[in-house]
Amino acid sequence: MINNSKIISHSPLIERFPFPFKGDSYRYSNNSEALEPPFLLDITPEYFKEIEQKRHLLKTRKEQCYQSFSHSLEGQWEILEMIINEMTSLYPNYFSLKKNKNHWTFCNHLLKEEQSFIFGNSSSLPYEPLDFIGRHIQEDLIYIAQRDGDLYMDAGQLCFPANWSIAFNLGMTYTEFHSPVPYFSDSGLAEKVRNFLLRIEAGKPWTRLNWTLTVEPILDTFPETFDEWGAKKEKVTSENAGQLVHLRVEDQRLFRLPRSNGILFSIHTHLISLDELRKNEEWINRFYRVLTDLPDYIAQYKGFISYKDKIISYLEKIIKTKEGVIK
Amino acid sequence: MATSTIEVVVEEIKRESPTVKSFKLVAANGSSLPRFSGGSHITTYVQTEYGLIERHYSLTTDPDITDYYQIAIRRSDQSRGGSIYWHDHIKIGDKLYISYPKNHFPLSFRAKHHVFFAAGIGITPFLAMAADLKKKGKSFELHYAAPSKELCAFHDFLLSIYPDETHFYFSKEKRKMTTDLMKNQPIGTHVYFCGTEAMIREYAEAAKAFGYPEKSIHFELFTPPDFGPLQAFQVKLNKSNQVLDVQEGKTLLETLLTHNIQAPYSCKIGGCGSCQVNVLKGEIDHRDFYLSDTEKKEGNVMLTCVSRAKSGYLILDL
Repeated sequence: MINNSKIISHSPLIERFPFPFKGDSYRYSNNSEALEPPFLLDITPEYFKEIEQKRHLLKTRKEQCYQSFSHSLEGQWEILEMIINEMTSLYPNYFSLKKNKNHWTFCNHLLKEEQSFIFGNSSSLPYEPLDFIGRHIQEDLIYIAQRDGDLYMDAGQLCFPANWSIAFNLGMTYTEFHSPVPYFSDSGLAEKVRNFLLRIEAGKPWTRLNWTLTVEPILDTFPETFDEWGAKKEKVTSENAGQLVHLRVEDQRLFRLPRSNGILFSIHTHLISLDELRKNEEWINRFYRVLTDLPDYIAQYKGFISYKDKIISYLEKIIKTKEGVIK
Repeated sequence: MATSTIEVVVEEIKRESPTVKSFKLVAANGSSLPRFSGGSHITTYVQTEYGLIERHYSLTTDPDITDYYQIAIRRSDQSRGGSIYWHDHIKIGDKLYISYPKNHFPLSFRAKHHVFFAAGIGITPFLAMAADLKKKGKSFELHYAAPSKELCAFHDFLLSIYPDETHFYFSKEKRKMTTDLMKNQPIGTHVYFCGTEAMIREYAEAAKAFGYPEKSIHFELFTPPDFGPLQAFQVKLNKSNQVLDVQEGKTLLETLLTHNIQAPYSCKIGGCGSCQVNVLKGEIDHRDFYLSDTEKKEGNVMLTCVSRAKSGYLILDL
């Protein structure tokens, strides 16, 4: 018998990092692709550290990281069921579930935790279903309801945001919560992507990679704490950019939820320092070409226009040294 | 048909009326089936000696039942062969593939009251929608027209489960279902129609005349709307510079697919919008119920499954 169960890969970060650039130029577009295989979960060696951090944030700043409407509960149970099914079928060594009709017992063997509850009965769990299951996986989870022909952000557990907040976005429509994105919101692209999302089908999930830059390996870059992490941008020089500046990639996945007819949007955030990224020469060269080609409105929105020149001079230095060595 | 289909087995076949049979489908591997929302349908793929028969049928059970799905099919002599095949050839134990549930006929979230109008086999989506609303304690009423009690599929079921909500209209008893039922409804009422194209047109026009906002009017078609003859035309594909002839009687979508053009689609009857493409030049003969009047007037997009060129040719952004 073949053992299909997945285990955590311990290969170095550079070998498993989701590098986002397919070409030498980056612009906003609907860059979604069919997700193959069609699963949400990715458990990496950072699991224990990130789960601990997530739970600490949820304990100390709950309103900032978790928000929901009461009418999202049906969708939340559907999300919990989908994720538990995936956890136990993809990683049976790490997670298990015992079902006796609606009485379920979920075990997380990695964390040595067990929780019994009645499926569909929210008072039988210590947290709302979305909040509960999000505490067992690295991904952030956003529930987008489809109501009367539009998409609304109706619930979410978002601990590792790239400068946005569920507390601010809750209840907004798709076009409303994208209104700060330049070009995307005023070129008609946002409506096009919304119409695409309105039609995604169960069993055919989609994925896209989004990216930005973060100074120091900080996952919880909330607008609410901008004073703490935003000030670090000023420290970047062309000498220390390799250690300080991190390429931040969001592995985003989109699933139609057939029961609620809503959409589950998951985000798995990965960070890599530019010094680490240098280990792949093709990637660091491509990253340099993307940055030099990047229009200011994108660098401005992504929040690194103030130190973009420092990164470029750092990259030029290392690329020149490398070429010097080769010659 | 790879990852996005589910293999199922026909577990039970039941005669619901002299012309309607219901089919109970279970997952071939014994696992549970996805839950769905009221108004959803599945696409069934049946391999026959005449080729693959691909049809859409509404799911008729409580959306939280995951052990099996049920669909109900009326045998139609005018059909393209799908319903006849299901009635005359499908037997218990047969295997087939189905899509995941899709919903092109969802319940409104904001509606204060839901009024359903079913003509004949048009009852099927409302069976699951009623179950959904009942469970959530929402208010609804169901008006169901059939020739007679004997020819009325699910009559006893509806009478026992939704006795207060269901109203029957049997034409043999000279009781006619009329659009006047929409007249004196509370503000916030949404109306839903499922039946023949003529019935849907009549009810949708009446609802508009009574003052229902367009977004409070919902319907689902079973067959492509009839907009007259399917004349031949040409399309030019801008990206590949190919010119294709859409023959008389054929749809643009069929033509694209036979030429291996990766064109998206789902319902194939102009109802879901999945096959929408951008049109760069040419006059479009819109034959769908999906695009708004403004979009149709602007003429920059079309649905390839039903719409055509008014004359000559179209340039598509494909």
